[in-house]
Amino acid sequence: MKKTNYMGLQLDNPIIVAAGPWSRDGSSILRCFESGAGAVVTESIVSDAILDVRPRIAYNGSGAENIRLYSDVQIEGWEREMEIAKSGGGKVIASVSAHTPSEMAYLTAKLQKFGADAIEISISNPYMESLEVMASDAERVYRVTREVVSNVDIPVAVKLSQNTTNIMEVAKAAKDAGASAVSAINTVRAILGVDLEDRKPVLGTYGGYSGAPIRPLGLASVASIAQSVDIPISGIGGVTNYREALEYIMLGATTVQVGTTMMIEGPQAVRKIVEGVEAWCSHRGIESIDEIRGSALNNLRSFEEMKIEPAISTVGSTRCTDDCSKCMQVCLYDAISKQEGKITVDQKLCTGCGLCTFICPSRKLKLNW
Amino acid sequence: MNIREIAKAAGVSVATVSRVLNHPETVAENTKKKVQRIMEEEEYTPNWFARGLNFANTNTIGLVIPQLVDPVYSEIVKGVEDVATRKGYIIFLCDFANDQTLEKMYFEQLARRRIDGLIAVSTRAESKIFDTVTENNIPIVLVGGSSHDLGFSMVKVNYREAAADATRHLINIGYRKIAMICSDHTDPNSEEKLQGYRLALHEAGILFREEYLKIAEDKMETAYLAAKKLLEIEEPPEAMFVATDNMAIGVMDAVKDKDLKIPEDVAIVGFDNIQISKMVEPRLTTVDIPLHKLGVYGARLLFDLIESDVSEKQQIVLQTKMKIRKSCGHKERIGELF
Repeated sequence: MKKTNYMGLQLDNPIIVAAGPWSRDGSSILRCFESGAGAVVTESIVSDAILDVRPRIAYNGSGAENIRLYSDVQIEGWEREMEIAKSGGGKVIASVSAHTPSEMAYLTAKLQKFGADAIEISISNPYMESLEVMASDAERVYRVTREVVSNVDIPVAVKLSQNTTNIMEVAKAAKDAGASAVSAINTVRAILGVDLEDRKPVLGTYGGYSGAPIRPLGLASVASIAQSVDIPISGIGGVTNYREALEYIMLGATTVQVGTTMMIEGPQAVRKIVEGVEAWCSHRGIESIDEIRGSALNNLRSFEEMKIEPAISTVGSTRCTDDCSKCMQVCLYDAISKQEGKITVDQKLCTGCGLCTFICPSRKLKLNW
Repeated sequence: MNIREIAKAAGVSVATVSRVLNHPETVAENTKKKVQRIMEEEEYTPNWFARGLNFANTNTIGLVIPQLVDPVYSEIVKGVEDVATRKGYIIFLCDFANDQTLEKMYFEQLARRRIDGLIAVSTRAESKIFDTVTENNIPIVLVGGSSHDLGFSMVKVNYREAAADATRHLINIGYRKIAMICSDHTDPNSEEKLQGYRLALHEAGILFREEYLKIAEDKMETAYLAAKKLLEIEEPPEAMFVATDNMAIGVMDAVKDKDLKIPEDVAIVGFDNIQISKMVEPRLTTVDIPLHKLGVYGARLLFDLIESDVSEKQQIVLQTKMKIRKSCGHKERIGELF
């Protein structure tokens, strides 16, 4: 297994089960550990349990919207739940949500006492709060993190939101305040759709969007933080398989959290990711995740640094006889035509935009010069 | 016996015992009965619940509030009770009716009855009033602020900032002629609220006008009269910030009785977000004070002291939030929509 040091916690592997209803109490956390995850984050714990609305989770085949809110076990009940959660010896990270520094500090100190191995402060839920979540404001993030860090001895991670102008600034504030890590990203404020007959938005209120569609947002956030702030990152957002977990790691994540995929496919999905990462690394003789962490960042340049090569689209040596004209349809510059079953690219018209190379189902088109 | 030993005795996993405690409906009937029987035999209660059942204690706490009929305090009481009952404690509830002599008498009486802890809500008492309680080493927690710095654990909100927010809301909509109907000494936080109102005016460069400030007892009837007076002055205000929702309801009546419309003729912002504020017509824009939560944390801080979890003073400041409804600014609730 690919052992990982995350905020000083020695994890068996870098895959962590994210905060959510699947980790709502001690016994469900024990079940999460059966998936082989390196650690489990509890569902966000708040001062008072709030009644759940029904329905509260919607899914459209690729992404999920939820208005699940928070743990329905009161803080006092977590003394017992934490004992159960930790009875298997796994590392439990307590996710805590509150609105002021002193309240957050109070709750996190209690969870430390109950045995949590680390804290993840959740200040970025995109539902039930106004749009101005705490994580959208670097100054507020600094104050709350500072207060928590000075009240507990265990490591503290701050869960960040896409819902801010500059996530790097917020990550820097968390680091300056003494956070041991940041997690990025939380769910994204969304409306999954509208029922045309009933004229009703799905779930009837704004919710948090998760699952595969938000992965590109998560990847960009993680990469941005990794390039600008020296702090361990837990990458979150739309990981459905081991390759996507490795994408996060190559863009700088120390650990990767999985939530929606586990909700839809069950704990075995997490096990497949854990084993897939292990197998991929072993196959390439990679002994430690550290060898590949951030390895794609060198190839991530700012726009100014992009070199303009005179590349144009070319077709591979094989003739295209497929009954398909996707490349011709999408060509914005009318450079592609098909004659007698053969695709040709007009070298004068092609401007090298590259779209056809992604559209071709058999990847016959390439950019070259 | 702890939870692991119960599980072992019943031949089930720790997780199953937990489910019997939390979600018994998810456990097979036979298993559930078996676990419950063992828990009964062993007199097992989850330890956070049992913690308070110390036989040296009386398992009672005193809760002293300024006004039982005021819904602000009943919501706080509910919060205290929600934690206390789960801890196995019962409450002596005392309403001192804004009378400090009565408040002092209650403190003495409660100390004599050997309560394990005292929660004083919105007290204006000085330190020496608490002497009989502190001399008996009874822990004290203050809820909702106090007029004096007493050095006890406390949970409160920033009343000054919350009142400034309410006033800023009116300023941001475009009002300049903003009056305040402030509560008198019957509301221990009235001074801070007035400061917040003046602060927001000052920030916006609006001069404070003496004739736009009316101070009244924290009651609907007196607020009604104060609002009528304000509306009769030569240049009446276009908006009013009222120190409590209770008073704001009286103010709304006064405005309607003058045949004026809310918010078209007079905009109104209240304070507290009591239940009734979302039922009056038009729905009252107000500042949400987490009343229930104030009670919950008050009880938590007290049990921390009773159980000797912590010895040092703790202070928690909870968040307040604008609740924008139809009595003003509803169309421009940019910051509030969620």
